[in-house]
Amino acid sequence: MKTRILGFAALLAVAAATVNGLFIVPADLNQGDAQRIMYPHVASAWLAYLSFGVTAMAGIGYLVRRDLRLDAIALAGAEVGVMFTAFAIWGGMMWGRPVWGVFWQWEDPRLTTTALLLALYAGYLLFRRLTDDPHRRAARAAVVGLIAAIDIPIVHFSVIWWRGLHQGPTIGDPSKILNPSAPPLFVLALMGMLAAFTLVWGYLMIRRYQLARTEWQIEEHGRLGRISAARRSFITESITEEAAP
Amino acid sequence: MPQTTIYVAPRLGGAHGSPPPAVDTDGLARLFGRSAALAGVSLRIEAGRTVALLGPNGAGKTTLLRILATAIRPSFGGLFIDGVDALRHPEIIRTRVAYLSHASGMYDDLTAAENLRFAATMLGWSGSEVATVADRAIAEVGLAPVADDRVGTFSAGMRKRLALARLLVARPSLVLLDEPHAALDEDGMGLVDRLLGLWHEFGITVVVASHQADRVNRAADATVRLHGGLVADVTGNGVRAGALAPVIPTQAAAVRTSR
Amino acid sequence: MSALRRHATIALAIARKDALAELRGRQAVGSTIFFAALVLLLFGFALGPDSGRLAEAAPGLLWLAIVFGGLLTVARLHQMEADDGALEQLALYPVDRRAVYAGKALAGAGAMLLLGGLLFPVVAILYGVPLGAAWLPLAVTVVLGSVGFAAVGTAYAGLTVRMRAREVMLPLLMLPIVAPLLLAAVKATVAAVAGDPFGELGAWLQLLVGFDIVMLIAGAATYGFLLED
Repeated sequence: MKTRILGFAALLAVAAATVNGLFIVPADLNQGDAQRIMYPHVASAWLAYLSFGVTAMAGIGYLVRRDLRLDAIALAGAEVGVMFTAFAIWGGMMWGRPVWGVFWQWEDPRLTTTALLLALYAGYLLFRRLTDDPHRRAARAAVVGLIAAIDIPIVHFSVIWWRGLHQGPTIGDPSKILNPSAPPLFVLALMGMLAAFTLVWGYLMIRRYQLARTEWQIEEHGRLGRISAARRSFITESITEEAAP
Repeated sequence: MPQTTIYVAPRLGGAHGSPPPAVDTDGLARLFGRSAALAGVSLRIEAGRTVALLGPNGAGKTTLLRILATAIRPSFGGLFIDGVDALRHPEIIRTRVAYLSHASGMYDDLTAAENLRFAATMLGWSGSEVATVADRAIAEVGLAPVADDRVGTFSAGMRKRLALARLLVARPSLVLLDEPHAALDEDGMGLVDRLLGLWHEFGITVVVASHQADRVNRAADATVRLHGGLVADVTGNGVRAGALAPVIPTQAAAVRTSR
Repeated sequence: MSALRRHATIALAIARKDALAELRGRQAVGSTIFFAALVLLLFGFALGPDSGRLAEAAPGLLWLAIVFGGLLTVARLHQMEADDGALEQLALYPVDRRAVYAGKALAGAGAMLLLGGLLFPVVAILYGVPLGAAWLPLAVTVVLGSVGFAAVGTAYAGLTVRMRAREVMLPLLMLPIVAPLLLAAVKATVAAVAGDPFGELGAWLQLLVGFDIVMLIAGAATYGFLLED
């Protein structure tokens, strides 16, 4: 019930932040209306990072505590994170088209980093699907999630340097929008969108976690059932053996 | 039929200050995919006993030995070796257990001597002792003439002898043997019998799975017969089977999801 | 014997064993290097006969070939363990997992170094790039690149060796992880060949050092979990 209330709150918050971002905040002088994509784009990128951080921490937690609930949290983080990453890439491409004239701009470090993030965690999810034993899956996935997470800052730095160690900032560079000179109204709109998206994030995380727990309980019931079946057939066989002369 | 003696297992030390059992398992079960290889094995083996593990193919002998060796973890159940929780501290167990599996665990591109010296290094012998210990073990199993041949050229029986030599390099308190007689010639089987006698004499606990019931029974204090992943019966001294404990779901499944 | 010395002994024994097996089973090493050289040749066909363009693309192609060859190398070093139960035996020895990781990573780095060292002259000849002049920074780049690749590759090969579809999963998991390594190594190679006109060589080498250290620590800390069932 509480989760459902959170879901409705998230829906309302996103609606409000969308109305605000589209109609109330004024358009950017340089980029016009295209700049409005920034609000959901940046917010989802941040939440993607948060999700992957959660996945890494929950993975470490699992390795220490051997508690499969932590693995369920790690799974939820990775799936929700991949969703937000894909959304961020889509937003980035939609933004890039009017501003740079192309969908894919190799010089944008945020876009290229995010593409690698998507590859890293899509691999993580695929890896999970190919391992059956729950504890083995949890431990190995924790290692994958941890190495992926510590790779993120290295990827980020390398891509930023790659763009050119001695190149001045490009005009209209998305990463410059949030500097202190950005109009406070824009910052406020972004914060509003971020808050709304965070509610959505929380709702999705909880729901995915609950689903993972249910899936796991079903699996566990199946396992116990198979052991009971083995015991039943053992007892049946022993009785038949004794009954025979 | 499984015996129905119920015991409360004291984990450290026996009831009257006697040493803890060498092996103490509590409802060990293991699933591979959809099939249950073990369905709840509770056994208690006194230290220094030689125990024959019998049963048809698929009875769970290899699975049980692999769990005892800490090569795999049980899906359910507990395992204590010399009073140490083997699931929590496998690294302690590994200093005490020597395990002969179906596979030789040797590298084809190395010679027999190189393989065994590598094993000796891994088992904690220091620089100067490694060669001596390894060469002596190789001579013991009758492989001295082919010590400098690559293992890739060895027959199954020679590989088995080499794997036996690795057991001699280790200094275990518990020896686990999976079909030690398989693939060996008459002379090799005699070697296994001699080793079984030696370990028994030195008070080392041995669990040996075999289809050669008469051969291992000669050396064994007790016999455990497995069937369908459960203990069918136990005969002899030093081994007791526990009751079939209910399978307890692991902690995470027991917690209810809130809606 | 102190614990540290024991760890070093273990690691060296494992690396030595791997090196021996690799050099004896010569076909495997040779075919990996041949494969990587073949990739370089095919890149030449793919990019056409324009020698200027080839020389420009050479550092990137070289490192791609090293990465492809490296994937095979680290996979083979673990496949060798999986044959006839050696990996299970390795997991059962009472030794520190970090020492096992160090040994496998050392062997992997050595094999990568061999691969890189042999591919550099191939590139110099095929693509007409003057690599001889800048040999020292190039050697440093290859060493750092090899160590970093082996650090990640050892962990990920250990992760996938007993898995279904491991041939696909290893590159799939590893390639995005080594993307920054590839980037930094290519940039460092470009800078070194050009005589470092913008003074950026040091920065890229630093990035490689950072990558190596972080990944070695991560691999050593987690390898034990991969050896267990």
